[in-house]
Amino acid sequence: MLKKTAIHQLSDLASALMGKGTLVAPVREDAGFNFREISDAKQVDLNFHNTIISPKSVFFPQAEDFVRYRTGRPLQEAETVEPEGKPLILFGVRPCDVKSFEIMDIHFSGTGAVDPYWQARREAATLIGYAFDVTAPAEPEEFYQTLGIGAADPEGSDIFMVRRGDDLILKSITGKGEALLAGIEGLAGASADDEKFFDDTVAAGRNFKTRFTCVDAKTITKKLEDLFHNTDFWEKASNACLSCGVCTFACPTCYCFDICDETLFGQGTRRRVWDACMFTDFTLEASGHNPRTKIYQRLRQKIGHKYSYHVRKYGVISCVGCGRCTRYCPVSVDIFSIVEEAMKA
Amino acid sequence: MRSTNPYIPMPVEIVKITDEVDTHDIKSFRFKFLNAQDEARFQYLPGQFAELSIYGKGESPIGIASSPTEPGYVAFTVQRAGAILPGLVTAALHDMEEGGRIGLRGPLGHPWPIEFLEKKNLVVVGGGFAFTTLRSLVTYMLHEDNRSRFGDITVIYGARTPGLLCYKEELAAWEKRSDIKTIITVDKGNETWKGREGFVPAVCKDVAPSPANAVAVICGPPVMIKFTLPVFFDLGFSKENILTSLEMRMKCGIGKCGRCNVGYKYVCSDGPVFSLAELDELPRDF
Repeated sequence: MLKKTAIHQLSDLASALMGKGTLVAPVREDAGFNFREISDAKQVDLNFHNTIISPKSVFFPQAEDFVRYRTGRPLQEAETVEPEGKPLILFGVRPCDVKSFEIMDIHFSGTGAVDPYWQARREAATLIGYAFDVTAPAEPEEFYQTLGIGAADPEGSDIFMVRRGDDLILKSITGKGEALLAGIEGLAGASADDEKFFDDTVAAGRNFKTRFTCVDAKTITKKLEDLFHNTDFWEKASNACLSCGVCTFACPTCYCFDICDETLFGQGTRRRVWDACMFTDFTLEASGHNPRTKIYQRLRQKIGHKYSYHVRKYGVISCVGCGRCTRYCPVSVDIFSIVEEAMKA
Repeated sequence: MRSTNPYIPMPVEIVKITDEVDTHDIKSFRFKFLNAQDEARFQYLPGQFAELSIYGKGESPIGIASSPTEPGYVAFTVQRAGAILPGLVTAALHDMEEGGRIGLRGPLGHPWPIEFLEKKNLVVVGGGFAFTTLRSLVTYMLHEDNRSRFGDITVIYGARTPGLLCYKEELAAWEKRSDIKTIITVDKGNETWKGREGFVPAVCKDVAPSPANAVAVICGPPVMIKFTLPVFFDLGFSKENILTSLEMRMKCGIGKCGRCNVGYKYVCSDGPVFSLAELDELPRDF
């Protein structure tokens, strides 16, 4: 199913979507764009390149309550915060970020124990992807082409959107997307010409140039295994690193979390919060032993995990080339360059 | 109705506390489940662990010290952490009394590979407080329903001083049995100690267990493991036939939170039990 709407009527589309469930979409904020729950349809703004924080926060919030308890009261009185599966529409996700959900699904719900919070939100969500502008150059940090992700790949989205001049073309990709699209009134039918434009954009997206280096999962996995003991390599790579963890928080595929109890005035919450392998106490044991006291060891863990360990465990590289880690790194540590260097080693 | 949410602990009550050592910082806690369905679901084998959970303090992953052949309770031997870092959960637990209630999440991780161990001769080597899941394994194998499934059992267990040996009554009982060879050693004895003196690696060399159809299961402090492994290599044990249990800081215990990641393994869900051959595949990052 192919539909379209004029871009100046975007808030009408947003209003219609808000009638179908919680709408989460890009919103302009002081520092840039972020995905937010929409309360006013006019907030939705597609004049963005990509968001600061990745949309993983929609399914894996930065802080998520598991239990609410009162100190001094029996354990059985604690209240479990059950996973919520309310209908949610995630609107305007770039193809590289759409890909990140597929990678996260393998970890959170596809292998081993199922994370009920992730799974409930994912199943209740309809994903509306949005092609990058394939006529403008990529941002300098982006390298999704290296990882085989196109600038306009519709795979993984339920509905995929392409901008054509002052119009927004919407195409349903899955049955779920078709059901949603069919239920939205006020959209115009798209012409055969629109359809051709949509297909041409997808094709152009596949050849869209970002930073590129030849990486195949098997080779980089082995290269990084071999480089593990090359302390010179990792010290050089982490020379400027502050170990601040920004890269992991902005990353769409970093999933490490802490579970902690926060009690105030007798009322408490056990919750999970994002954590980062870049922090020195991440692996600090009660005995005082810590296998990763040095910054180079932690950066090696982060890159090794994404490009080697994850491949060996789950079969895929845990990176989508969105470039956020490099863009927001205060000292410009560049994962792409490190991977590129590792491939040459 | 209790949820099957893996992050939610099951309520348990402390039914027995045993002060294990003369420094009073290691205690064994027996818990009984408050809900029968939780007890029925808590099916475990030696080598697995669980998260001990106290709201307001947090959770600690601890190896299960009891054996499934001991019905009615599940036991953990817990050291009060705090020599270096404050251990909120272990301190709170140590301050509790019988009748106190906490939460339990588990069982977690993989057990000692029981099927692999069947029909083999077992050499169980432990040092200090790391003997807990080995105690579970030995108790399991010695049970009358299980003893015939295993070959010879040799236990070599050491502590720094006589007062630091855990499970003293059981050790004494094992020493009297003919179907298990029990060798207890301390680094340094005292005026009442009549047993063996010497470090675990030296005692292993002295005892010299045969590698024929044998598996060594070794748990202890890093320094003990470091000097014990070469002894077993020299005796002819292959890396596939030396098993250990890895420690790493953990949170979720179910392979999701990423904390105990070492190479392509998560210690919690892929381990904690590994053979030396498996550990050789991993980067030295633990």
